[in-house]
Amino acid sequence: MKIHEKILTHYLSCTSPVDKEGYLYKKKERTSSYQRRWFVLKANLLFYQERPADRHLLGVIVLEGCAVQHCESEGGLFAFSMVFRGSGLKTYRLAAEDQLGQESWVKALLTASHCYLSLLVRDLGKQYEEAKRQAGPAESHQRTTVTGPGSKCLTQSMASLNSCSSSFLMPGPVRREGGSHSASNVLQAPPMPSKVINKRSPKHWPKRNAHVTPINGPAPPYGEWPQVDFDPLEDFTKLHDYYGEGVKQLRADWLRRRQEEEEHLEEDLIDLSEH
Amino acid sequence: MRFNEKELISLSRQPSERAAELGMRGPKKGDVVKRRLVKLVVNFLFYFRTDEEEPQGALLLEQCRVEREDSQAFSITFLDEAERKYLFECDSQEQCQEWIDSIIKASYEFMRKNLIFYRTEIHRLTGKDPLEQYGIEDETRFQVTSGLQLMPKDI
Repeated sequence: MKIHEKILTHYLSCTSPVDKEGYLYKKKERTSSYQRRWFVLKANLLFYQERPADRHLLGVIVLEGCAVQHCESEGGLFAFSMVFRGSGLKTYRLAAEDQLGQESWVKALLTASHCYLSLLVRDLGKQYEEAKRQAGPAESHQRTTVTGPGSKCLTQSMASLNSCSSSFLMPGPVRREGGSHSASNVLQAPPMPSKVINKRSPKHWPKRNAHVTPINGPAPPYGEWPQVDFDPLEDFTKLHDYYGEGVKQLRADWLRRRQEEEEHLEEDLIDLSEH
Repeated sequence: MRFNEKELISLSRQPSERAAELGMRGPKKGDVVKRRLVKLVVNFLFYFRTDEEEPQGALLLEQCRVEREDSQAFSITFLDEAERKYLFECDSQEQCQEWIDSIIKASYEFMRKNLIFYRTEIHRLTGKDPLEQYGIEDETRFQVTSGLQLMPKDI
C-alpha cells in the first residue's frame, strides 16, 4: 500500500503545532535492545528519526486503534507500550529516561487519536450548546458545572473504568481512592476553586481577535457537523477500550463488537460485482 | 520511511465516515480517470482498486486544499503543488458537496480548532474549563495558542 510519504513529511514540517517531541528509546522488534530515537508527535502521527536535526525520517506510526500502557521498567528505563489490537498487529515498546517523561508521553499518546479527539469535540459541542442555552440573554458565572448527556456518559464511563482498571494511567475526572498504582498527580485534575479560574482567566484565554477561529458560530463556516448516526454508548465504549486495555472483559467486548462492525461494514460496501 | 502498514490496512477496514466508488485521477501528466473505491477513515483517504481487499494507497488529509472542479468533481491538492492534485469524479453535485464537506471536517487540524473554540467559549460562558473534568487541560495539543492559523480551504 502506498502511503504518500511526501504528504506526511510535509505535514510534519509545516507550521501546525507539534504536540510533543523528545528522545525516547525504541525497542527493536524481536530483540531486547533499545535504540535512542527522536520522536515527534503531531496529530495522530508519531514520527521518529535519529536526531532532531535530521532531515531523514526513519518512520511514522499512525496512532489509531492502539492502547497505550505502562510496562515494567527495564534497565533503569521507564517503559511503556503501544498495543495495536487485532490479530497480527504490532506492539511498539518505548521507554523514557525518567518517570516524568514516561507519564507525559503516555498521557500525550493516550489523547492523540483522531477517534478520541472526535468524541471530545462532540462532547464539548454539546456542552457548548448547553452553556449557551443556560447563559441566556445575560451571561453569568453562576453556574459552576456544565453537563450535557454526552459529558455525563463520558464522565460516568471513565469513572467506572477507573474503578476496574488498576494498571493504567488515564486522564480521568474522578479521583481514585487509595490509588495503589503510580497515578501521578500530574494526571489528575486538581481541585479548582473558582478564584483560581478567575485568576487564570485573563492571561490564559486570549482575546478573541488573537485567533482566526470565528466566534459567531460553533464552527468555521463549513456547515453543520455531519449527522453521523451512532449509538453514544457504543462510541464511548470504544473510547473506554483505549483505556481499558488489560481488562479482559473490556477487550472481549471490543472484539465482539468489532466483529459485528466488520460484518455490518461488509454489508455497506458498494456492490462491485457488476464491474 | 517505515510505517505501520498492517495497522493502517486494518484501519482502512474500520467503519468509515464516507465510502463510495468514484472516478479518481492521479496528479501526474498522463494519469487517467480510474474507478476506485474511495473511503474516508479518520484523517486518511484510502482508495482501493475495485475487488481488492487491501487499499492501493492512503492519502493523509492534512495541509491540503479541497476545491470544487466542475459541477460533479472535486480535487485535493497537497503541498500546494499542481503536481500533487488529485481529481475525484462523483455521480452528482450533492455527492460531490458531501465529499468536500466530509474531507474538510475529517482533518485533525480542523477538529483541533473546533475544540479550542468550544473550550474558549465554554469557559467564557461558564467560567469553567471543560477539559479539566478530563484532566487534559495541560496537554499541548489543546492549548489556545496564537501559533495556529486557519489553512485556506476553498469550497
